[in-house]
Amino acid sequence: MPLSPAVIPELRRLLGPDGLVVTPEGRMTYECDMHTFYKGTPELVALPRTTAQVMELVRLCRRERVAVIPRGSGTGLIGGATAPQGGIMISTTRMNEILEIDLANRSATVQAGLINVWLSNAVRDRGYFFAPDPSSQMVSSIGGNASTNAGGPHCLKYGVTVNHVLGLEVVTGAGELARLGGKVADRAGYDLTGVTVGSEGTLGIVTAVTVRLLHTPEGVRTALAAFASIEDASEAVSAIIAAGIVPAALEMLDAAIIRAINEGIHAGYPTGAAAVLLIELDGPQAEVAAQAERVAAICRDHRPLAIRVATTEAERTLLWKGRKEAAGVLGRMTANWLLQDAVVPRSKLPAIMREVAAIAARHQLLIANVFHAGDGNLHPLICYDERRPGERERAIQANEELLAACIALGGSVTGEHGVGVDKAKNLPKQYAPADLNFMARLRRAWDPDNIMNPGKLLPSHPACGEGLRVGAPVRIPSGAWV
Amino acid sequence: MTSALGERLRAVVGAEHLADGASAAVDGVAPRFVARPANVAEVSRLLGLAHAEGLAVAPRGAGTAQGLGNPPTRLDLVIELGRLNRVVEYEPADVTVSVEAGMTLDDLERVLGKHRQVLPLDPPGWRARTVGGVLATNASGPWRFRYGTGRDALLGVRFVQADGTVTWGGSRVVKSVTGYDIPKLLTGALGTLGVIVETTLRLHPSPECERSWLLGFASLDLARGCLAALLDSALQPSRVEIVNAGTLAALGEPVTAAALAVSIASVDAAVAAEGAELDRLARAAGGGARQLADDVWERYGSLFAGARGVRLRLACLATSVTELVALVDALAHRHGLGARVGGCAGLGALTAVLEGECAPDAWEPAILGPLRDRLEGEGGSVIVEQCPLALKERIDVWGPVDPQALALIRRIKTEFDPTGVLNPGRFVSRL
Amino acid sequence: MTRPATVAARLGAFSGPDLPDPDGLRSCVHCGICLPQCPTYQILGEEMDSPRGRLYLVRAAAEGRLDITPTFTRHLDLCLGCRACETACPSGVPFGRLLEATRGQIERRGRGPARRALETLIFGLFPHPRRLGPALRLLALYQRSGLQSLVRARGLLRPFPRLRAMEQLLAAVPRVGRLPALVPAVGARRGRVGLLTGCVQRLLYPQVNAETARLLSRAGWDVVIPAGQGCCGALHLHGGRLDEFRRLAGALAQAFPEALDHLVVNAAGCGSAIREYGHWLGEAAPAAALARKTRDVTELLVNADLPLRPVEAVATYHDACHLVHGQGIRSAPRALLARIPGLRLVELPESDLCCGSAGVYNLLEPQMADRLLERKVDNIAATGATLLVAGNPGCLLQIAKGCRARGLVVEVLHPVEVLARAVGP
Repeated sequence: MPLSPAVIPELRRLLGPDGLVVTPEGRMTYECDMHTFYKGTPELVALPRTTAQVMELVRLCRRERVAVIPRGSGTGLIGGATAPQGGIMISTTRMNEILEIDLANRSATVQAGLINVWLSNAVRDRGYFFAPDPSSQMVSSIGGNASTNAGGPHCLKYGVTVNHVLGLEVVTGAGELARLGGKVADRAGYDLTGVTVGSEGTLGIVTAVTVRLLHTPEGVRTALAAFASIEDASEAVSAIIAAGIVPAALEMLDAAIIRAINEGIHAGYPTGAAAVLLIELDGPQAEVAAQAERVAAICRDHRPLAIRVATTEAERTLLWKGRKEAAGVLGRMTANWLLQDAVVPRSKLPAIMREVAAIAARHQLLIANVFHAGDGNLHPLICYDERRPGERERAIQANEELLAACIALGGSVTGEHGVGVDKAKNLPKQYAPADLNFMARLRRAWDPDNIMNPGKLLPSHPACGEGLRVGAPVRIPSGAWV
Repeated sequence: MTSALGERLRAVVGAEHLADGASAAVDGVAPRFVARPANVAEVSRLLGLAHAEGLAVAPRGAGTAQGLGNPPTRLDLVIELGRLNRVVEYEPADVTVSVEAGMTLDDLERVLGKHRQVLPLDPPGWRARTVGGVLATNASGPWRFRYGTGRDALLGVRFVQADGTVTWGGSRVVKSVTGYDIPKLLTGALGTLGVIVETTLRLHPSPECERSWLLGFASLDLARGCLAALLDSALQPSRVEIVNAGTLAALGEPVTAAALAVSIASVDAAVAAEGAELDRLARAAGGGARQLADDVWERYGSLFAGARGVRLRLACLATSVTELVALVDALAHRHGLGARVGGCAGLGALTAVLEGECAPDAWEPAILGPLRDRLEGEGGSVIVEQCPLALKERIDVWGPVDPQALALIRRIKTEFDPTGVLNPGRFVSRL
Repeated sequence: MTRPATVAARLGAFSGPDLPDPDGLRSCVHCGICLPQCPTYQILGEEMDSPRGRLYLVRAAAEGRLDITPTFTRHLDLCLGCRACETACPSGVPFGRLLEATRGQIERRGRGPARRALETLIFGLFPHPRRLGPALRLLALYQRSGLQSLVRARGLLRPFPRLRAMEQLLAAVPRVGRLPALVPAVGARRGRVGLLTGCVQRLLYPQVNAETARLLSRAGWDVVIPAGQGCCGALHLHGGRLDEFRRLAGALAQAFPEALDHLVVNAAGCGSAIREYGHWLGEAAPAAALARKTRDVTELLVNADLPLRPVEAVATYHDACHLVHGQGIRSAPRALLARIPGLRLVELPESDLCCGSAGVYNLLEPQMADRLLERKVDNIAATGATLLVAGNPGCLLQIAKGCRARGLVVEVLHPVEVLARAVGP
């Protein structure tokens, strides 16, 4: 149902004169997240500063039966913060206050729009950090991280966002304010905090997050190991994990990515290697030292070209900058891309990397790889140029085959990016209709009128949810890029 | 009628796996039957039958935590999951395992130990408990300080809904955001949304070396100072427990006002180095550290498992633990009760066992009320995990639940089990 | 011939020469890493006032999905052109050039009457020392006559924020002496450099030019200072007046002799614009050759062999956008200051966040400029420094105004002035 213009004065009263984006030009900039393939322009964009305003917004949307699309910093990779069915987008960027830092209880409470790395910056001097570190952490919001259950390189050791969220303040699709969990994590009743994390704004909109802070480890060691083949690197990863070592991070980058990172960020990664492992160990000094020796020994067993250990904080920072901004260097590599986020069991890493190479060869496409090897969480980047006839179709086909291969090995459709619009159609590959039906009914309990981020997270196929209303078809971008 | 139902249940599980319910009473409410299904399909058929017949069902693992929850409002059938005890898939290099819910943690430990891996869930009496039971009750032990609880371990879950529908949630890999996190929903839900039948669990490498120390203090204030210093240090203990004098006495350790029991798990050299640092911290705080025997944690757990008396699960801020230990001790002393208190000091998750004579009517005003009043402000809670029936009939074992959260909990329960097949009356707010 | 052959073309809503480069637009992958670095995004928290959002609008116009509407223009006008986004961008999006090309398109379409009048005033004065000089002398009269105090006391300019902004910037107009055409090297001769005297620098901070010449000569450089040199065109470039910019650039190249080791610039905005000559005029143009020789003064003086006496003070350094983001110069000025004995250098929080000056931005967009200035002054106050050092006259004017308004006792100096104190007369 299109939005009634009569609500605009009401919204202005609620949000103030600068709290509403109504111009077509302004709204256009909110039509997509990082996955620009999916577009959907909101009818209005609201920029609240308080939870009370968000609650009033959701109530108004429920009354008007229009969609609510939560948006943090718009860095998602799944078309999650788009408005394919119109509606009101609620941007949390102005809700960026740190509400409380309680180091004695190792926790902090922040508004949803606070940028991830700002929290760590605020407590670093006192020896603490916020562990979830998605590569977007210098811009993505903690509310967005919670809504997508973001991962990141260091979740190998420290766990993903949900393992660090103690509590949430959330406005449900019914327009009710719920305070779930809190600094005291154990509560009687269902783990509603755990369910809301990763729900991609389909149950409600997160307005504040209480998180666990960790003490900075005593020792950190970061090293690069370069290999002549992706297979050697993959075998080394599986061997490290199987040896009972839990590195803080264990990342793999292939030749194509290394080249782009060196150009874009001047990270100085070794050239000429087919694959590089970025390995970080942290913890008590003695433990780090012992494990570093074992990791080095395992790498040496897998025919490394070079092993380089960062000796200064500046070197370590530069190694990580290269990895963290890898997504951003895409623009240097390819005109268009498809990005996978599938996960395979860690022992299957060598097998799936062989399959990736075979698929790339079969479709004559460059598939670049930069991913969380220690978790088995792949990010194959399928490069194509839609101006060349047939390439887009080949890329889509390669994408499908790759996903099927991951699922066949016992994997998951998405490890950390989420489902959004992009992967909704793939859920039936991992779940039976009964499983999806359960999820659809869970959603209904929170959002009885299906106003929260409709068209995301669950497939809209009728077989998948008796309780799911089928929304309008997703609008695909009008007109290709010049 | 009863015999007709018995026939149909026998047809599902076989005569030798269906028993009369008299011996399986939950809080004095005896079911008509106890069924011991052999596999997921049988669980599904049992629940399908129950749903169609309007029966009330209580799932049961090893039966060690049947005291948790309010008394059931109805009970017809207990489904006992002990025969679902197989390893479904275990590839050590994945550092995950898939097992059926009825497997005991002791059996699982034997499987994992061969590969130097561990499922770090160690609630009191864990060896006898089943995987499904520990998850459904969200039970935890000292290791939670380092490894978290069931919500952090459970990656994927197969469960049978109230109408018999077999459902899967989550994944078999360590990282997945494909759809809602159903494993979180099932963890701690006491089987009210479905019966857990199979789980995929995140494992950890067994530490090469783990040693424990007891840090005794003449006063709770000194213990509090040491705890704050420990938590603010770069030490990475695997357990940080606080214990009161009653627990120390029961352990046969020198009795002080309070003590911290701390474990370090790492490589040998790191354990030695951190142990020395721990000793330094304890001395600086006015106490001392003494190494504990390796079997201390088994003995410690047994103090809180099974047990007679009244067992409380207390949740508070880490900064409140010493004060809470003092409050429990004071209330117990005032009413002539013995108290053993212990729990994760770093996360504010305590267990208290109170023993002695106290009239059922007196508990609410004498013990529960003051504790809940103290904890309400900081979002803490007191759950009565176990108590005599006479007491249970007079209290709400779960305590109050935030009204907005409760509204959501009700809607979820109503969505999935509108007729109340699963554990009716036992969960929060007597759902 | 100072301008490369351009073929008239169309690109969606854009047309004619100087189209925004489609490959440049395409290289933005919409990752958003630029957002927290953008001053207007920090203040407003709106996508369309972020680099990613602005690029998205330009791209939409290039795709023909959007016309050059007043709202489009508004969001591009609000950009400071500080290029902090370029520093942050892992994909190497040439934001500054895309912005300038887009502004060129906007200018060609024409502006509304109020904006046009203001631009006429600004562009009629600033880049023309011969006009700006007399105007400033009038202003000096205005100040000394007491009229300024009267105007300020009565708040007479309050209804005219842009005029008020202009009026408030000017503290005291100095009397300007003329520099000789050549200042010869003292001691061992290292080479020969040209000195750009700039428009604003020459009139408002003549001592910075004088000290630059003196210190360079003390460091062994012959310093050539052509009297006839004009404006570098920076303001025109940033304003999208690309044809005038090219004309000025060509003339500047003519004004300097070819046999120079370096062209030394002590105004960040000028240095940054000159380094763009090759892009806008073609790498073969004489102006491009001049651009390749261009160095910021701190780059030449950072390692100069100069006797340094202590300067006892606590200083903090503000990164002028067009030094740090426009030219990638972050460490040289800090290293130069760090060499001075007695000077304690404390890091300024958000040192590379724009102060709001941004060429003539503070005249055109006084409200946003003031909000950024407030934040800058907050940060300066938090350091406790008594010296604020910055390498651009626009920043010096703006920050001095902010400190004055706050009553913050901070001396606002160019790095060359601080060095000059250490070197002594």
